[in-house]
Amino acid sequence: MSDTAVTMHDIVKTYRETGRCANDHVDLTVGRGEILCLAGENGAGKTTLMKVLYGMEKPESGTITVMGKRVKIDSPLDANRLGIGMVHQHFMLVDEYTVAQNVILGREPMHNRFTIDADAAKRLVDEVIHAHGFSIDPSARVGSLTVGQKQQVEIVKMLYRDVDILILDEPTAVLTEQETASLFGTLRTLRDTGKSLILITHKLHEIKAISDRVAIMRQGRMVGHYETASVDERELAGLMMGKSFSPAIGKTPYGRKQETVLRFAQVSVVRRNQGRPMLKDVSFVARTGEILGFAGVGGNGLGELESVLAGTLPISGGTITHRGQDISKSDAHRLRERGLAYVPSDRLKVGSALEASVSENLIIAARKRFSRHGMMRGKHIMQHARTLIDTYSVQGTADMPIGTLSGGNIQKVILAREIAQYRDYIVFSEPTWGLDIASSKFVHTQMIALRDAGASVLLLSSNLDEILSLSDRVLIFSRGSIVAELEGERLHTVTKEEMGAYMLGMHVREAAHE
Amino acid sequence: MNALLHSAVAIMTPLLLAAMGGLFTELSGMLNIALEGLMLMGAFSSIVFTYLSGSMIWGVLLGIVATMLLATLLAVVTLNLKSNVFITGLATNLLASGLTIVLSFRLFGNKGVVVFDRIGSLPRWDIPLVSDIPVLGAMISGHSPFVYLSWVLLALSSWVLYKTPFGLRLRAAGLHEKTLVSLGLSPSAYRFIAFLVSAFACAIAGAVLTLNLGAFVPNITSGKGWIALVVIFLGQKKPLGLLGASLVFGFADAFSNYAQGAWNVPADFILAIPYLFTLLAMVIVSIHADWKERIKR
Repeated sequence: MSDTAVTMHDIVKTYRETGRCANDHVDLTVGRGEILCLAGENGAGKTTLMKVLYGMEKPESGTITVMGKRVKIDSPLDANRLGIGMVHQHFMLVDEYTVAQNVILGREPMHNRFTIDADAAKRLVDEVIHAHGFSIDPSARVGSLTVGQKQQVEIVKMLYRDVDILILDEPTAVLTEQETASLFGTLRTLRDTGKSLILITHKLHEIKAISDRVAIMRQGRMVGHYETASVDERELAGLMMGKSFSPAIGKTPYGRKQETVLRFAQVSVVRRNQGRPMLKDVSFVARTGEILGFAGVGGNGLGELESVLAGTLPISGGTITHRGQDISKSDAHRLRERGLAYVPSDRLKVGSALEASVSENLIIAARKRFSRHGMMRGKHIMQHARTLIDTYSVQGTADMPIGTLSGGNIQKVILAREIAQYRDYIVFSEPTWGLDIASSKFVHTQMIALRDAGASVLLLSSNLDEILSLSDRVLIFSRGSIVAELEGERLHTVTKEEMGAYMLGMHVREAAHE
Repeated sequence: MNALLHSAVAIMTPLLLAAMGGLFTELSGMLNIALEGLMLMGAFSSIVFTYLSGSMIWGVLLGIVATMLLATLLAVVTLNLKSNVFITGLATNLLASGLTIVLSFRLFGNKGVVVFDRIGSLPRWDIPLVSDIPVLGAMISGHSPFVYLSWVLLALSSWVLYKTPFGLRLRAAGLHEKTLVSLGLSPSAYRFIAFLVSAFACAIAGAVLTLNLGAFVPNITSGKGWIALVVIFLGQKKPLGLLGASLVFGFADAFSNYAQGAWNVPADFILAIPYLFTLLAMVIVSIHADWKERIKR
């Protein structure tokens, strides 16, 4: 018997809908009795790789070896049979059922040929719960449990299926710190009984805290496997975010004819059943003629900031003003009327209506301009669409459903629409996420052009290269607050390692104002 | 009064059967509005097959098969071809309504009421001992075998839904579909079977109508499939609840039949009683649910 529990070799998986290659010839090995963290930025392909291992996604090519045997995994049932279990990021539980019913679902202990043995179910589930030191009641209704307990049910569900290899997809995303600590205790115990655990995560301190080894993915590729003890958090951050590639964009120097467009004063967002605020006392100003970069690791407030800027997440405290007028309580529609232009990070769900045509998507924000007496003016719309398609060299026609375009072209359409909509400020969130280099460059060029034309450009991105190469000023977020502001000379000399340190909250706020 | 209760039980039987079938699809996560059409198909095909085979048992069995074929069509289009279940259900209802009339014309040269004298009437079963109990005896004894069959089937569905792995998974499909998918089980497979079960029950429900009458009347179901849907919600999607809810409707219907003869009120008002009952019952249940929700908090 070897010491390797799972070997995945040369896995290729492309999503047909978007044409994006989520796994590009990826290799992964997991040892027996070890905790492996599968780390990487959002969209690096971690979850896809694990869904392949769990039989929920079919790869185009590649081989999987489990416990020394070549296997074919076509469904979660196959995976379970091979001793592989997965705890999903979103719980796969029936709230109306009891703990025991949820655990046995699909593998029920039988009383006779037809009837479930409810007593045996309770007993068996209770055995698993006790054997691993969990603290849940098998006859409790799952809907009445806390998030941490629900996760325990998920783990018990897999242990009941006798798995030796357990995949957990971002298990701490929804947990409090105490729950996380107790989960890590459980995971260590499981490892010590010889189970192999794979944790998907992008939180650096968790990788250091729990894993024996770490496998890092970036943009669909496997960067490498490392002994956790041999790399520190800064190196990890560097590996996850990639070596500096310089997009080399000609940029005119930072002009200083600025006036304030948008002002955030002590803005906070607190979600009810969550102790820690999502955003805490965020204050900044965005001015004309500059690109203001917002950097941060996922889960540190950039997502909330995006929603606040877009008017889809109400703030709990503080004020936001636009050109001196209070817009703290304005919803998305009001903001749009004021001229908000916004390129969202989720371009498929938020940024476009996939079934609607390119021309329809182009006029969504400005229907009134293209209708007369309540009727759409077809010729007018088509002409508008054709002009924009030409200007932005979109590969596609005006009447194609936008969903049939590639990711880069969808982004171009959204860009075209938003730039047409923009008046004085424009928000970009992860504008080049998942795009190839050419499309990324196109987007970057557009942003510079906007800034040179006097726009206030807000760029939210987890891609440090993008932030550093484009921004005139950078605000760094950690745990929902701004921990550093960099500009001028400081911005030119800062290294990515230093940036990483700020993002991890390792430095306190520095007075970077001149 | 005894006669009223007796006929209430007789009238509720098709409702109970159709609602029972609909309960399976409902719990599997599909709003099955095709109950009406499936019932009509069952009503027509079972009396025709009874007439052709000369046996009620064969007639009902073949009627079930015919109805299940229609349900298979519905299930394939809905589940495999992924059409909207509301539209396919509506189509099934329209198809059943048209098809039965066309077939009736082809077979018997008549688009209206077709009377089958030859098939005789349904047997009545007196239950020994029970029939001696006052009130209750009159209520539940002396019915056609279908009435007792519906109770057996109700007990059976309750057992299937709550005691077997099939039931556990079927209900999980309706409550949280993704859970099943994550365990490698197919929600569609359970929904497919649920459609077939609802066809089975609706076919018997339809057979009760035509065999009782000894005739086929175009659109004989006259909204009973829809009322069966109401019964499912009124019965809070529980087997015993269905029994209670369908009894309420049976009683309302029986009462309006009785009142037509006894009271000097325009018949239109009296015929509206069951529908008024439906409305009232829904309001009461909704208030009750709201109240329960508040107690919880």
